[in-house]
Amino acid sequence: MFSTRLGLSPLLHSSKQASSALSRLAIPRTTPLRLTLPSATATPRRFCSSHRSADNKDGKKDITMYLQETHDKVFENNRSWAAEQVAKDPDFFKKLEAGQNPEYLWIGCSDSRIPAEQITGLQPGEAFVHRNIANLVCNTDLNVMSVIEYAVKHLKVKHIVVCGHYGCGGVKAAMTPKDLGLMNPWLRNIRDVYRLHEKELDAIPDEEARYERLVELNVYEQCRNVVKTAALQQSYAENGFPVIHGWVFNFRDGLLKDLNVDFETILKDIQKIYNLTA
Amino acid sequence: MSSSNTFQYALSSNNAWAGYKAHQNPQFFPKLAGGQSPEILWIGCSDSRCPETTILGMQPGDVFVHRNIANIVSPTDINTTAVIEYAVVHLGVKHIVLCGHSGCGGAAGALSDARIGGVLDTWLLPLKTVRFNHAEELDAITDEKERVVRIAQLNVEEGIKVLMNNATVREAIAERGLEVHGVFFDIGCGRIRELGCGTAHKFPAGDHVVRGKHGQLVFGQDGEAEIAAAQ
Repeated sequence: MFSTRLGLSPLLHSSKQASSALSRLAIPRTTPLRLTLPSATATPRRFCSSHRSADNKDGKKDITMYLQETHDKVFENNRSWAAEQVAKDPDFFKKLEAGQNPEYLWIGCSDSRIPAEQITGLQPGEAFVHRNIANLVCNTDLNVMSVIEYAVKHLKVKHIVVCGHYGCGGVKAAMTPKDLGLMNPWLRNIRDVYRLHEKELDAIPDEEARYERLVELNVYEQCRNVVKTAALQQSYAENGFPVIHGWVFNFRDGLLKDLNVDFETILKDIQKIYNLTA
Repeated sequence: MSSSNTFQYALSSNNAWAGYKAHQNPQFFPKLAGGQSPEILWIGCSDSRCPETTILGMQPGDVFVHRNIANIVSPTDINTTAVIEYAVVHLGVKHIVLCGHSGCGGAAGALSDARIGGVLDTWLLPLKTVRFNHAEELDAITDEKERVVRIAQLNVEEGIKVLMNNATVREAIAERGLEVHGVFFDIGCGRIRELGCGTAHKFPAGDHVVRGKHGQLVFGQDGEAEIAAAQ
């Protein structure tokens, strides 16, 4: 088993497809991308020579086996997770099946390192979740707008959290002067955030610090975008909730940083122009 | 628990979690900070009862995630499309898992004739289309819960078709054997099962696939530590 996983790395790294995918990347090497990851620590000593060619039959069989096994592992994990929950509380799934009553809407990044529930310790049923590239809330995106509307009007969540993270590949990609094809329309929204805060960002000499600040400002702007929605404004006027929070997750220590977004002020601010309560 | 308590709970719980993880493995966060290499792109429902990484028993770094109302894959939705593009081209994920679930509010909404209002009716249109295309089968199901389950499964099959026709996905299937799976999460028992659509036709619908212990096979950055723990 051990060998199967490790044996694959050099295969993929040497394959034509992998390098062509890599060459299509317009993002600097520092960005967290699959193919630039150091598998050096995981590079096998035993298997590198015999498994190198992606074209040979054994190699192909290896990939098939590997895909099957990595896939099966998920099902196996799921079974043991389900069994564990039942052992702890025999009615766990019965209660879940009865319905959801989450207090939170979480709008976060798709990044695999930020599973909302695990990092907050929230249980199944506690957080309604939308995750997209760079945790954006775009006015014309029916996908996220539907999520907000459903969470606020139908589930009546009390908190909406927009959670970004330092080291965001999407934010970095958007700072890169390159045509990223299908991703352009999406990432364009981050470029707009930069333009809104151009002076502040340009004044930061250190690139890393500038990038981290853009991550924070992006969260801030997306919080504003949530506040601009009719669903939020109407529910808040009527019920006094939900309230908005902007958080940033830091991989270095695993901690969430509360940006202390001033919800009341934002609401007052935007309603001069974006008031949709009537 | 009052709502402000829940909020404080999440923040303090994060503190505890971070401390625990770092204590368990001091390299955990430094490794995460180094980058991500997920092998799975998960497209699932926003429903709070379907936390993908938790129900898969996986760790941060393992699963790239998009979750929306009723796990709809709409061909012109730029949000989902950007996620797919990033995951398949830039991260090179090996599996795309599209997951539906029982008791889906979006699926129930599509079965109703009432207008939901706002933008939701438009978003749920693909599900409505599924409903009308399978009216005969769905109408024949007398149990309401079962009807919601069935339309949610048909919705996954429909989403898989859209995924398989996505140009980026097609290329990756042909060039490097990317696998696309349609699965279903039964909230009533916590189990996931394959629906037998996508590239994984070899799995008969309804079977739980289990092949021995793969504790040694671990996704993502935390591979080494998990291998040790599993042995």
